[in-house]
Amino acid sequence: MAGRVTAARRSLPTYLVLGPFAILLAFPFYWMLVTMFKEDLDLYNAENVPYVYNPIQWKFWESATTKHVEFLFTDTHYPDWLVNTAIVGIAVVVITLIVALPAGYALARLSGSWGQTAGIGIFLVYLIPPTLLFLPLSPLVARLGLQNSLLSLILVYPSFTIPFSTWLLMGFFKTIPQELEDAALVDGCSRLKALTRIVFPISLPGILTVVIFAFSLCVNEFIYAFTFISSTENRTISSGVPNELIRGDVFFWQSLMAATLIPSIVLALLYNTFLDRFIKGFTGGAFR
Amino acid sequence: MADVLDELEGGSSTLTRGDLLKRGGAAAFAVSMFGALPDKALGFYGPLKYQNKQLSGELKILQWAHFVPSYDQWLDNTYVKEWGEKNDVEVKIDHINNALLVATASSEVAAQSGHDLFWFISPPSSFQKQVVPLNDIVQEVTRKLGPMAKVAKKSTYSPKTKTFYGFPDDYAPDPVQYRRSYLQEAGVSLRTWEDLRKGAAKLKQIGHPVGLGMSNEIDSNMLLSSLLYCYGGFIQDEENRVVIGQGANRKGAIEALEVMRDIYRNGMSDEVFAWTAASNNQAFLAGRLSVALNAISIARSAENSGNTALSDDTWLASIPRGPVMRLGNEHVMGVFVIWKFAKNKEAAKKYLVDQQLGYREHFIRSQYYNFPAWTGAIKGGFKTIREMTAQDTHKPKGKYTILTTIAEKYTTNPGHPGNTTPVIDEIFQTWMIPQMFAEVAQGKSSPADAVKSFNRKAQGIYRKWKNQGLV
Repeated sequence: MAGRVTAARRSLPTYLVLGPFAILLAFPFYWMLVTMFKEDLDLYNAENVPYVYNPIQWKFWESATTKHVEFLFTDTHYPDWLVNTAIVGIAVVVITLIVALPAGYALARLSGSWGQTAGIGIFLVYLIPPTLLFLPLSPLVARLGLQNSLLSLILVYPSFTIPFSTWLLMGFFKTIPQELEDAALVDGCSRLKALTRIVFPISLPGILTVVIFAFSLCVNEFIYAFTFISSTENRTISSGVPNELIRGDVFFWQSLMAATLIPSIVLALLYNTFLDRFIKGFTGGAFR
Repeated sequence: MADVLDELEGGSSTLTRGDLLKRGGAAAFAVSMFGALPDKALGFYGPLKYQNKQLSGELKILQWAHFVPSYDQWLDNTYVKEWGEKNDVEVKIDHINNALLVATASSEVAAQSGHDLFWFISPPSSFQKQVVPLNDIVQEVTRKLGPMAKVAKKSTYSPKTKTFYGFPDDYAPDPVQYRRSYLQEAGVSLRTWEDLRKGAAKLKQIGHPVGLGMSNEIDSNMLLSSLLYCYGGFIQDEENRVVIGQGANRKGAIEALEVMRDIYRNGMSDEVFAWTAASNNQAFLAGRLSVALNAISIARSAENSGNTALSDDTWLASIPRGPVMRLGNEHVMGVFVIWKFAKNKEAAKKYLVDQQLGYREHFIRSQYYNFPAWTGAIKGGFKTIREMTAQDTHKPKGKYTILTTIAEKYTTNPGHPGNTTPVIDEIFQTWMIPQMFAEVAQGKSSPADAVKSFNRKAQGIYRKWKNQGLV
């Protein structure tokens, strides 16, 4: 009993520090959750308490409505946007891994300062803003006949996911001792086998980080998604939501909140599931 | 000019050589491959989509996401489908947020690829070199419906090139929307700008400030240029020459700047410098604002919210009168253009003509937001429009009839008394008007200096477009 009290006392400061942060960070999600089920009458009345459903009652669901969420799924192309986002995200992640894994490994093992310099050079490519890059890419996409096709995004997105992922994986591969590979080679493994059997499994946190990072970038990206895709049903979430749910000068707040909360939950779950590995992935190359 | 006309002539053919070769090839292929299977004899193209019709191709349209979702649903799922079947055209219609229209248009022009028909929320005169002149269909519709509204003509006609670079489809009058109870409580009238100048402080005192934007967004552009008209501070003259820095125009512009500065200082808050087009809607619907200038999306949103206390108290009025006149810009001037690179120009033209001829249904389904560019599209013209709007059941009964008066008497085009030239378009697109007003309201510049600086920039823009032969 006394031990439990002592443990609780010890963890109290942690909770005191973390508690307000957690509330602060979770509040936007709570706000979205509450708003998406609000009646217009409730939302637009400035005298109402905005954090709950009005009129306030124990059976709070009687003051709420699902009609705006239904509107999102039945009267807009939101389900298509979700599917399109998933298709683009998965395809880009696969392409990114195919290119960034060998590139990151090669740069990590490149002797001398060349590897480091090349790594930084590749990372700098990531810093070129899409607002500039879309200008030359726009006629290119048109020339390839990829306008209004998800393929245009699958082609263009790796231009910013690969540089960062390569740089990230390069740092991670450096943390893996060369001796492990040497031992595998001595035991008869080929270079490729050593990679697939030894290096990549150990690098799983780094690879997962790249997967989550590349996928998040694809979900969040707006400029290319807006420029290259013009038809409503072919859009991804990032360009479909602001185009369909801000109509003229009227915001459809409840549907907007639902539309943004749903993918946020998926991403949050993804991050949380692999949180430890994710942190390892980002800090893996920090001391090398 | 000649190349545009050549293109028009080329485009008027219903079957090009390319089409002929394609279809001939398809037929030859079909006969050789499926000659023994009569039911599959059109295997290459597939069976004709609509009975007894020739497949004419695809028509791609882009326009804004209308603030009335049911209008877009009807347009996309009923109107466009029926029109497509009737004309044997596969119509694809896309909608985007109105704030992204110009960026999307620029992107399509850069890529020389995109939609056949592109709808703009305000006259896109700076895109003139990229579009097909539409004099022929303007004449066709005018023959059938009578003259188009003056606001529509001056928005889309270039006197320099003598062409209609765009097809005026619709426009939205821009009424003042106000909370009647707040104005009564404060004892404020909206008859003149001077009344509002005097009453702004009282409205702010009762906790309900005035909401007139001075930000880089379309509502501010429309409202503030309207204020300039009311005080006689015209940016250009009837010959489309920039004159704001001269004589009575300069004096009027300075007075308008002073009025807005006073209304801001006494009756508004600094949020108006950071507004988007939706901000006045949101602040009004939240019950904060007493006065806003906007199309009827505010009043309609109030009604749709079910908050009758708010919607019944939301009244509409004409723009206040200034010492020179009572006149305001349209809030929206819906203009379609057909890009030079459009693939199905003929179908695009037919779509525009047919839509205008049957605009009555669009007017009703848009909840009286979209006024037809040809008033004759609604049989009986403004008289019928007044009767239709009077039938709206929302309280106060008949509040929408004022829209007819505004449309008929107090609505003009950006650039009044001239046309909406590329100069005006660029001034609007670069937000020079709200920036001039904001600088004076914030005390960063005197009204005289602000007009001087505005005039200098506007003259530069005028010279640029004059060199290009468009003004």
